[in-house]
Amino acid sequence: MITVNNLWKTFKLDRQQRKERQNGERSRVVNAVAGISFECKPGRIFTLLGPNGAGKTTALRMIATLLKPTAGSITVGGVDALKQPNDVRKKIGFLTGTTKLYERLTPNEVVKYYGDLHGMDRVQYNRRKEELFELLGIHAFARRRIGKLSTGMRQKVSIARTIIHDPEIVVFDEPTVGLDVITARHVIDLIRSSKQSGKTVLFSTHIMGEVSLLSDDLAIIHNGKLCFNGTYDDFRNSMKSDSLEEEFIRLVEEVE
Amino acid sequence: MKMIFIVFRKELLDTLRDRRTIISMIVVPLLLIPILLSLSTQMFIKQEIEAREKTLKIGLVDAGNAGEFRNLLLADEKIQLIEDLTPVQARSLVESDDLDIYFEVSRDFDRRISGMQPGRITMYYKAAGDRSIEKRRAMAFVDNFEQKLMSDRLRELGIDETAMKTIDFHEQNLATVQEQMAEAIGGLLPYLFIIFCFLGSMYPAMDLAAGEKERGTLETLLTSPAGRFEILLGKFLVVVLTGMLTAIIGIIGLYIGFSQIPEIPDQMLKTILLLLEPGYIIMMLSLLLPLTIFFAALLLSLSIFAKSYKEAQSIISPMFIVVIVPAFLGLLPGVELNTVTAMIPVLNVSLATKAIIAGTITTFDLSVIYVSLVAIAGISLFVCARIFDHEGTIFRGT
Repeated sequence: MITVNNLWKTFKLDRQQRKERQNGERSRVVNAVAGISFECKPGRIFTLLGPNGAGKTTALRMIATLLKPTAGSITVGGVDALKQPNDVRKKIGFLTGTTKLYERLTPNEVVKYYGDLHGMDRVQYNRRKEELFELLGIHAFARRRIGKLSTGMRQKVSIARTIIHDPEIVVFDEPTVGLDVITARHVIDLIRSSKQSGKTVLFSTHIMGEVSLLSDDLAIIHNGKLCFNGTYDDFRNSMKSDSLEEEFIRLVEEVE
Repeated sequence: MKMIFIVFRKELLDTLRDRRTIISMIVVPLLLIPILLSLSTQMFIKQEIEAREKTLKIGLVDAGNAGEFRNLLLADEKIQLIEDLTPVQARSLVESDDLDIYFEVSRDFDRRISGMQPGRITMYYKAAGDRSIEKRRAMAFVDNFEQKLMSDRLRELGIDETAMKTIDFHEQNLATVQEQMAEAIGGLLPYLFIIFCFLGSMYPAMDLAAGEKERGTLETLLTSPAGRFEILLGKFLVVVLTGMLTAIIGIIGLYIGFSQIPEIPDQMLKTILLLLEPGYIIMMLSLLLPLTIFFAALLLSLSIFAKSYKEAQSIISPMFIVVIVPAFLGLLPGVELNTVTAMIPVLNVSLATKAIIAGTITTFDLSVIYVSLVAIAGISLFVCARIFDHEGTIFRGT
């Protein structure tokens, strides 16, 4: 379970960033996330949908304790993310579309590294590793250096790395960005299987197809604010446009 | 502690598989340095011998009035005398390196000599410094000639040669051979060790901070249960270790290099061998360790601030000069180890190493150096930890 309550993140802008702001605002700060609240439940997939620069990554980074919120609270699996960030990180698996791996290590070494960081003992680690390597077909290239693997192989290793400790919560930040159809399918399968095994799944995307394919719950974010927060079924039922894309654009334009 | 070890172990494995690190840590000090040292010394010795043994081409500009001076030049087997030159011709031949030296003898030379007056000889040569062997050989020739003229004159005047000598001057250097060697090579060694420490720390620091940030692996690592300070310490220890290993490999490389030079003076080799004794090694490493900690913290701080490996390179490269200057200052004569210089990082290690080799280091100076190095290393690590904890720096450029 993830509970986000009135979350804010304000960044200071440097001179260059102030110049680049399109709306001509002279403000020295920007609210990347402006008072959002939502709840992700176990056994359900929560989708955070928004255009580029909407605040999705900032929100997920705060949940993963990479960034400290300016205001608000986050609870992950019953643990306060602000007070006990290390404990939160034990509970989550975090995967982004831009996740990279250590090129000079082998899949065996990378996955073992993360297993060790999560404090797994040898028996527990070996059992879980075997299970994942079998499922994802990593055994065939487990001893080759990551730098020599294809994008698809690397993404499989990334998945194994993310869930080696069998986290109760998985967070995916635009996990299919830049991936080919087959590789993206592995990620989609992982999201589905995580849901089936009762995990709390939070993923962000700007791809409409993924929303309809995966979402149980949905929040639409734009300029750091939520313009929809409810179940995916509620969203479909309340649509005033013909398609998902058009409804998304309508909602975004409404808050601008 | 366990987390630090896990991060350290992984970073060490990763670093030891990085070609750039291996080149700077092992190949350069262990292979390149001995080869360069051996080749350059042998070349230098060969040139020195050649210059000493070769037949000097000397021009003589006179008007048939050089008398005995000319005869002595002709009699020397190692001098090829070129005569009948005008001053312009002789000058041009020296400038084009066709002559090593030419002498211009004044028109009244013979007359003045026989009249017991000084005769003027001007020597023309082309050399950037005073160390030209050709010049020294020609000067020695002129000195001998003058000595001979002086003896002849005194004999003619019936004066005892010893009566002309007012002081029987002798000199004796009381510095031990070890001290003399410390002055000769003691400046060079710390200079090299400091450079090795810096070079050995530089590539891992850039790779483990800016490199990891650029490759997108740092964000993933930060989502693991390892705390930021634990991650930093794991990386930091690898940077310190590679810096120290490079210095140790550098010492071995230098020893191999020097022992490959057959012409090396015994005393110099003995001094270098002395450096390989456990006591010296421990003392040297105990000085280099806090310095490497300072380097590691400084380099990691700069590297983590950079958006990419390339940017880290452009920030860190000028730092090399900042390190070289105080290390080089230790080479200069007159720069001594005292309470003030003992507190200046890099310079203090440079001077202390020199003093260790000479055997003149005092416990007080050593204590000041340790305190100042440990303090500066601690401050650097603290600053580095603050930078690493700053999310604006970690996510700069993302």
